[in-house]
Amino acid sequence: MEKENNEEGFVLVARKPCFGLPTACPSSLPVYIYLRFANVPFDLRFNLLHPDSDQIPYVESGAYVAYNNEKCGVIESLKEDGIVDLDSGVPSQTIPEWLSTKAMITSWLGEAVLYELWVGSDGSAADKIYFSDLPWPIGTILHFKQTLGAKQVLGITKLNAERREDEIYRRATMAYEALSTMLGEQKFFVENKSTSLDAVFLGHTLFTLHALPDTSVLRSKLLKHSNLVRYSENLKMEFLEVGSSSSSVSQPPFEPSSSSTPRRTPSSWRSNPKPKPKKEKTEEEKTFRRRAKYFLATQLVAVVIFLSILGGSDEVDVEDDNDLDYDA
Amino acid sequence: MPDSVSENQNPQTENDNTVEEEEVNLRVHDIIIKGNKKTKDSLLETEVESLKTATTMQELLEAAALVKSRLQNLDIFDSVNITIDSGPLELPATCNVTIEVVENKNPVGGNIGMYSKPEARSYSLEGTAKLKNVFGYGDIWDSTWAYGWEQASDISVGVYLPRFKRLSNPIMARISLLSQDWLKISSYKERMLGLSVGLLSTRHHDLAYNLTWRNLTDPSQMSSRSVRKQLGHSLLSSLKYKFTIDRRDSPQRPTRGYAFVSSTQVGGFSPDSRSLRFLRQEFDLRFAFPLGFYNAALNFGVSVGAILPWGRGFMNLPSPISERFFLGGNSSPVCTLGGLTTLLGFKSRGVGPTEQRRAMIDISGNSAKCTGRDVLGGDLACSAFADLSFNLPLKVLRDAGVHGHIFASTGNLTKLTENEFQNFSFRKFGESFRSSIGAGIIIPFNFFRMEINYCYIRKQFEHDRGKTGIQFSFSSPL
Repeated sequence: MEKENNEEGFVLVARKPCFGLPTACPSSLPVYIYLRFANVPFDLRFNLLHPDSDQIPYVESGAYVAYNNEKCGVIESLKEDGIVDLDSGVPSQTIPEWLSTKAMITSWLGEAVLYELWVGSDGSAADKIYFSDLPWPIGTILHFKQTLGAKQVLGITKLNAERREDEIYRRATMAYEALSTMLGEQKFFVENKSTSLDAVFLGHTLFTLHALPDTSVLRSKLLKHSNLVRYSENLKMEFLEVGSSSSSVSQPPFEPSSSSTPRRTPSSWRSNPKPKPKKEKTEEEKTFRRRAKYFLATQLVAVVIFLSILGGSDEVDVEDDNDLDYDA
Repeated sequence: MPDSVSENQNPQTENDNTVEEEEVNLRVHDIIIKGNKKTKDSLLETEVESLKTATTMQELLEAAALVKSRLQNLDIFDSVNITIDSGPLELPATCNVTIEVVENKNPVGGNIGMYSKPEARSYSLEGTAKLKNVFGYGDIWDSTWAYGWEQASDISVGVYLPRFKRLSNPIMARISLLSQDWLKISSYKERMLGLSVGLLSTRHHDLAYNLTWRNLTDPSQMSSRSVRKQLGHSLLSSLKYKFTIDRRDSPQRPTRGYAFVSSTQVGGFSPDSRSLRFLRQEFDLRFAFPLGFYNAALNFGVSVGAILPWGRGFMNLPSPISERFFLGGNSSPVCTLGGLTTLLGFKSRGVGPTEQRRAMIDISGNSAKCTGRDVLGGDLACSAFADLSFNLPLKVLRDAGVHGHIFASTGNLTKLTENEFQNFSFRKFGESFRSSIGAGIIIPFNFFRMEINYCYIRKQFEHDRGKTGIQFSFSSPL
């Protein structure tokens, strides 16, 4: 009768896959890539119900869990708990630069992604990643709540919105330039060896290039640095697309290319943002609308029948003469 | 509530028995309603319509008694008086009916009490405030709050309409915000914002629709894997139908009769396939037999329930943890009709499948500290009890309604979903029933009912939370 967790392998619980990515959440993707870099066998599972949780992504194995909101993130938890540490080989003299680069990516570029995802776009990417599996009223309210939360985190108000936007993109531009200079034509940032810095930055670039729309300013800024784009594509081909021997998906797999958001290839990328395309209704939305109409029509018919049957049983003849007198 | 039905008899009628034995033909000429300042005429007109159909005095008296009862049940009048007078002289065999109502002087009412509920973990303080007849339609608005000592419980606002236009069926609607803290037992907190609408409510049938936004969180971040998979937001759109027959002579201390409750809940009544989809069924059967001495009675009861998800791939899906069955708690099984929850002697949610919680690794990374287990509930539950109640020898105790009882209870839970039904066998299920026996005293008060029981745990399994000893429980007297 007792349920014991006999699964000792690692399981990464992340947000759903979209846009041709194994997980489309900008917080979950670096963890996925880190585990792939480390060649750790793991299962990938998706949490579709908790878009506003800061615990996700998390890695679990048996009764062990490393949450995203503990110990500076899942990657740091895995390092501290002795599970997997890619950073042990970072030369001590490069640690200050390495750390500050990582901090720049997580802060400046992280803010830029946060801005584009929740504030600076039509919200369709966020809808697809976080709310598409929730019932409509819940998804709508949570999206609104998350947008307000993002504005609070970014310190955006009605008065300073333009200034903050400018500041965010300026910092992103500076960060890309610095990273492009630092990377050059190397395979990784540190001595041809993957570290958590690569996991974090690769997660950022893959998200920016594949999940953000063509009209994205951040995406256009990244596309200006061809070595960063090559870095992203090469590592994606090597670690994310060449077999899935070290990871298996136990829940909805990657989206097929026939999905409503086709995968992007490098040849289709442009550095100049295109005008935003007209949004078309997906098959799911059409089906949902049709079902909603049928449901409402059925309810209306049921109410009419209910009223006519029960109202008719209580019907009495109202006489014209004054049978009822009222005294105050 | 002072009220009366009186008549001015025909002075030519000499013997009261004549009225009772012979049919006196008459018809109602006029119905006069007095005293309603706020209450809408349409409501009262509809309630008294049945008087006009009376053709004899006997029928009129019966109809008058029924009208009086229905007006009293509206709970918006301090008193209801019905007087029958003879009609105009030029219209023989007619009568006039005068209905005098006194509306509530104070439309505000309420009560407060302390109870232990099977679904909560501990005792809770509950209060209700009512506002009656605000718009004159017999509408009753109530605001209810309940607070448990270790968790905030719920706040709700509801409205009851005895009639809506031509609909004779009362309509009830309630919006509630409920918060349940199961962190210590199952490592999750539950918050629900819901709307429930009573579609049909008669003596035997209840049909209600419920739309609830439910959010499960784990602020402690210690939950087991099964609970972690359930955390998040969900939409519950369900229809619940309850069929009740209660032929017992008393719901609080039945000494004869039987009761049967069948409760069916279907979740997923929504065009959105992403809402919770499940089918939940419960049966509850009770019998009471008088023994003929010391007002003693033997009560038996058996309850069975099951929940299964439905939809594509349902065999691999778990049932929603909030809808599963949990056994345990100190509420009286005799008084709790419908609802598979109580198992005396065991703590709330103290029986059934459990799972290890998250293990904390120490700094050296070598050892993991075990942090307890989460109670997961079951998809199939069964419980039964036998209770012998009797008066106590002292007259003062008998007069106060204090009585004793000896009881035995048993119950079990198991999981069926996520392909666990393949491992299910009735023999194993039967062999794993938990049981307890005990004796106690029941003390009824005006505002609550207290039980003091000594329970002895006859059979429990590892990880169950049964405890032999004295236990208290409080419940509503209603």
